[in-house]
Amino acid sequence: MFGLGGQPQLSSQQKIAAAEAELDLVTDMFNKLVSNCHRKCIDMNYNEGDLNKNESNCLDRCVAKYFETNVKVGENMQQLGQNFSPGKF
Amino acid sequence: MDALNSREQQEFQRVVEQKQMKDFMRLYSNLVERCFSDCVNDFTSSKLTSKEQTCIMRCSEKFLKHSERVGQRFQEQNAALNQSMGR
Repeated sequence: MFGLGGQPQLSSQQKIAAAEAELDLVTDMFNKLVSNCHRKCIDMNYNEGDLNKNESNCLDRCVAKYFETNVKVGENMQQLGQNFSPGKF
Repeated sequence: MDALNSREQQEFQRVVEQKQMKDFMRLYSNLVERCFSDCVNDFTSSKLTSKEQTCIMRCSEKFLKHSERVGQRFQEQNAALNQSMGR
């Protein structure tokens, strides 16, 4: 995800650092997803150890919406970046 | 991104393993905090009541199932996203 542009002739260290950065990004997003969707979907009464139907449905939608939000924010940022290019200031 | 050669892959694998260990410790301590905060509210005794113990058991079971399910959906969404970006 979020491929880093194909600059040729990176040193081994740079390549590994790039792979590490990508892994960190994905891990960070996953951890945020887990904690956010838990807060929004899981009933804190703990009447059972299994996920019930409501919670499962909520989780599936929560993940889908998190990704959609990710894409939307990306698009908005891109647009903002075009309107407020550093050259303007 | 350029593919890693086998020596680089080995080095990266070491990094990944270190991160996995750290991630596991983080998961564990977060789970303790979450289940303590959701389940333990009665301080008339210094021992966990049976009700609290049941709650903690369910809380941790449910959390693991929760993160497993989120992980599955995450992979699916990630694959779909990568496909739509043509990678």
